[in-house]
Amino acid sequence: MPSSTLLAQSVLSGVFSGALYALMGLGISLAWGLLRIINLAHFAFVFLAGYLVYQCISVSGWSPTLVVVLALPLFFLLGVALQWLFARFSVDEFASLLVTFGLTIVIESLIQWIWTADVRRMETPLSTWSVKLGPLYVPVVEAILLLVTLAVVVAAWAWLRHTYVGKALRASAQNPVIAAAFGVSHRRLAFVLSGVAAATGALAGVFVAVGSPISPSQMFGSLGVVLAAVILGGLGNPLGLLAASILIGIAEALTMALTAPSWAPLVSFSLLIFILVLRPDRV
Amino acid sequence: MLNLESIVAGYGDAVALSDVSLEIAAGELVAVVGANGAGKTTLVNVIARLLPIRSGRLTWEGVDLGRLPPQALGDLGIALIPEGRRLFGAMSVEENLDMGCYRRSARAARDEGLERVYRMFPILRERRSQMAGTLSGGQQQMVAIGRALMARPRLLLIDEPSLGLAPSVVQQVFEVIRAVHAEGVSMLLIEQNVALALEVADRGYVLEGGSIVAAAAAADLLERPDIRAAYLGGA
Repeated sequence: MPSSTLLAQSVLSGVFSGALYALMGLGISLAWGLLRIINLAHFAFVFLAGYLVYQCISVSGWSPTLVVVLALPLFFLLGVALQWLFARFSVDEFASLLVTFGLTIVIESLIQWIWTADVRRMETPLSTWSVKLGPLYVPVVEAILLLVTLAVVVAAWAWLRHTYVGKALRASAQNPVIAAAFGVSHRRLAFVLSGVAAATGALAGVFVAVGSPISPSQMFGSLGVVLAAVILGGLGNPLGLLAASILIGIAEALTMALTAPSWAPLVSFSLLIFILVLRPDRV
Repeated sequence: MLNLESIVAGYGDAVALSDVSLEIAAGELVAVVGANGAGKTTLVNVIARLLPIRSGRLTWEGVDLGRLPPQALGDLGIALIPEGRRLFGAMSVEENLDMGCYRRSARAARDEGLERVYRMFPILRERRSQMAGTLSGGQQQMVAIGRALMARPRLLLIDEPSLGLAPSVVQQVFEVIRAVHAEGVSMLLIEQNVALALEVADRGYVLEGGSIVAAAAAADLLERPDIRAAYLGGA
């Protein structure tokens, strides 16, 4: 039996990886729940952003703040462009899964072509800095990730809950014809939502790049567990996504501490299957 | 105000409305009555721009509505209370009402509008945070009416408001229709309950097989033997 300190450290690292799942999954959850688009290319966007951040900061030596400030609007526009394509070709829910899977492969190849398949590591003073909190070590990057995720998730929730745009998006997802009769232009709002989703993906990309070494194939490694969190949390439900992500993160970390790291994926998928059997209406 | 001239519309190959002409003057409450499948809901959907017009002319205050998308109608002062309520079921009562004043020009009067709706239907004030999909049929109809009133319409399209409601609730709904009409709002009321509709209406049209077969003052229609025989149980 591992010591209680080790278990506590595991739970903490589970919370941090859960936060990253939530930040990566937010864009997918929003687009799936409110636009009925399953955007697998979101993972490619996350990694594309990660590589761009790596390139600008580690190779070209730009200021990290400047890079983040530039990346967010850039990916917002990328999201808008993607939604324009979906609307232009009237892509439905199932077709979106296929189309965006193809797009993911294309972007992955592009990344391999530019940055090769080798693992890249970003050297920043932040990556190795951690503070000691009682018996526990808290990596500063992860703590920042957790705070940013909390802020973004709560902001997304408040946006959907308390603004006219958010309410209109939800109304349109439930009944597009009647929403239109009350003045909602689904087309225009879909651009905004898709842009916001891609921008949150870029933010996740920053932490993917800063937090650990990256390689193109990791894109598919996180796909399963993030989709599990998205479905478990309820489509288009930011707070549910955060709770599900952290639950999965902790479950994985404890499994790794108590058994072996190779068992971790089993946990998230068992949870997903279990929930889908009990509540098939979640999708 | 609202003018339909020789409107033809339908679904696929089927023609649901053939050569329908109808008008509503400012402040008038016009009832369109008829049996199931006579084309009543098609008529509402055409005016609400949810269904394309094949031929004919549709104008409102001189503006040709024929080519406008449904989103444009709110700005012109037209609101819809659709058949079967069609609420946003997973949103709260108040959020549904908020969607009524989604248009920028209507938002300023939100609080005033909410107060008005809650005064009309006090039960909705109690249920303001409840999911609309979990309300009773009557309460859902109240939300559908409230949502349309939040848009501060000058023309209200009401499709089958009594459908599936208990008689006491139908009475309450028609009281509100009467009251809103008294404030000067023009209305198109589509109803299966012919007697009820013609009692509140100024004028009435009878729709049969997609065509207007009778048009007269509501009181006169109520007196006509053929109408009584066909729609009012003959008595």
